Amino acid sequence: MSPWLQALILAGALVVGLGISATLLIAAGVKPSALFEEFIVENFSDPENLHSILVQAAPLIFVGVGAALAFRVRFWNLGIEGQMIFGGIAATAVSFYDIGPPLLRLPLMMLFAAFAGMAWIVVPLWLRVRWRVNEIIVTLLLNYVALNFLLHLLYGPWLDPKDNFPHSPQFRAFERLPELGLGISSALVLALVFTALSGWLVMFTRFGFYTKFVHDNDRMALAVGVPIGIVIFGSALLSGALSALAGFAIAAAQEGRLTQSYFAGYGFSGILIAFLARNNPIAAMVVAILVAVLFVSGRSLQVFYQIPFAMVQLIQAIIVISVAASEFLMRHRVHWVR
Amino acid sequence: MLHFIVNWLAGTPSFATPYALAALGLIISERAGVLSLGAEGFMLVGALAGVATSLELGGYPAISLLAAMLAAAGVSLLFAFLVVFLRVNQVIAGLAVVFFCDGLTSLVGTLCDWTNRPITGLHAVALWPLSDIPVVGKILFFQNIVVYLVIPIFFLVNYVLTRSMLGLRLRSVGENPEAADAAGVSVSLYRLGAVVAGSALIGLAGGYLSVVDVKLWIPDISGGRGWIAIALVIFARWQPWRALLGALLFGCIEALIPRIAAAGIQVPQYFLLMTPYLATIAVMVWAAVTKFGRSSEPAALGQPHIREERR
Repeated sequence: MSPWLQALILAGALVVGLGISATLLIAAGVKPSALFEEFIVENFSDPENLHSILVQAAPLIFVGVGAALAFRVRFWNLGIEGQMIFGGIAATAVSFYDIGPPLLRLPLMMLFAAFAGMAWIVVPLWLRVRWRVNEIIVTLLLNYVALNFLLHLLYGPWLDPKDNFPHSPQFRAFERLPELGLGISSALVLALVFTALSGWLVMFTRFGFYTKFVHDNDRMALAVGVPIGIVIFGSALLSGALSALAGFAIAAAQEGRLTQSYFAGYGFSGILIAFLARNNPIAAMVVAILVAVLFVSGRSLQVFYQIPFAMVQLIQAIIVISVAASEFLMRHRVHWVR
Repeated sequence: MLHFIVNWLAGTPSFATPYALAALGLIISERAGVLSLGAEGFMLVGALAGVATSLELGGYPAISLLAAMLAAAGVSLLFAFLVVFLRVNQVIAGLAVVFFCDGLTSLVGTLCDWTNRPITGLHAVALWPLSDIPVVGKILFFQNIVVYLVIPIFFLVNYVLTRSMLGLRLRSVGENPEAADAAGVSVSLYRLGAVVAGSALIGLAGGYLSVVDVKLWIPDISGGRGWIAIALVIFARWQPWRALLGALLFGCIEALIPRIAAAGIQVPQYFLLMTPYLATIAVMVWAAVTKFGRSSEPAALGQPHIREERR
């Protein structure tokens, strides 16, 4: 099937998905005439909204690229939220226990976060590679474990003594990712750098070629001598590290502290981004920015129309379902038989 | 000590019931070859539908539970359409359906104002005179009606799967769809039916959580129990009686949490709340490491069937 026809089918699926979403929004009380205004005009004409989109894009790029790396080797990393939690916890620990001099503080926080993410994914990874334990379930259940650990910290030892709210004490100025001017935050720059590195890794290196091999046929890859263990481990560990960096980015750039639900919803968005981007890191970056538009619009809908933020999740799910369904038309030729 | 143990064991059947129902539902659909990762979502839909019916009608727990089953079965039609007819990757479709249901239920629950509103629900029934037997009476014969219902449902599922023509055909579709197709069994129809029937049971499990157990609706009320049920089915090697045992084990673990808190034993509560998830992972590892007994894992689990496709 020609790429043009495929693109046409994909576009059709997106139109159907967005159409259903628009219908839902109208049913929930948004005026049809206001839809275009809310999603397009508001977001791209107002510099403040544009800025929020760029801020929102950074963690979404991290989780999207991270999910893509894991899915490339058919490792279903559904533990993105757990890895984000541990990324945030590790970064906050560096701040909380005053580790390292101020100049090295941010790099240390980043490093700790990345290692924490890898540590959190290594258990399901090892179980899957060694014992063939289903990683979908294990990574997902570990999210609940991570969440409870986070709550333990926030309601216990890390409770902010200043206001007794369940969040960690505020980061100091040198522990926060700075704004670079023109509305661009250093979190976004970091996200773009990691996207470029991941893109280079999967497109131009032997490792990237191996991931494609493992994805298409891992038994064949094993038979011709691809070190599939190393490839799966490497790709999935990177996925864990990038997801954790998303948690670090939110804590250090947006919130300035560890909060209770900074990770909520990112797990599925990461999966959605990787799925729509066909596991390509560069495409994932583009999709992540579009999802950021959806997030920011969702927040304004929440404020102006009292529509719960769950609507954003529902819209994402509808788009995944319609695109997944459209693949039927790409893989099969339909003709009606009477 | 005896008091503690009796209270703990008396709480176990009630906690085990949603696991047992969901696991039985999952076994039905997985034996037909459909990996039902949407379980968590179907539970949420069932839970919301149950509470909504209760709130709108003002009571009637039986009708509410029926509504929970119907709602979950209805949503599962979407999933079945995706995986059975459009042959969408079952993992992608399952995940998408979970998040669809998650978003949908918290949205509808808020917009219709069904969130956080307590309902009367269903109360425990004492099977007098059996409930007056010391110790055993409180544990076995002072439960709500759904707990008792699990037993006939279990026998029915077991009987249909292993002893009836319907079950034989259903299993053949899950083991070898090509052969089943050649023998004249409609693969699509059986898979569709299995998904819908299984999801109705999963929806009942969800309705049980909200209508019988918590007696209100909050978003994400299932808290991962759908995923635990999926793990339970792997642990049970797709055999109903093992799933029932597994459900009891998990009910035991979950029933322990409030007991420990009530007994005043000092354990950090968030670590306590981790135990069901950690226990699930432990059980999955154990099932993977020790290859005990006969496994009934369907050979074609998760594989779409397309007639005359080259493999």
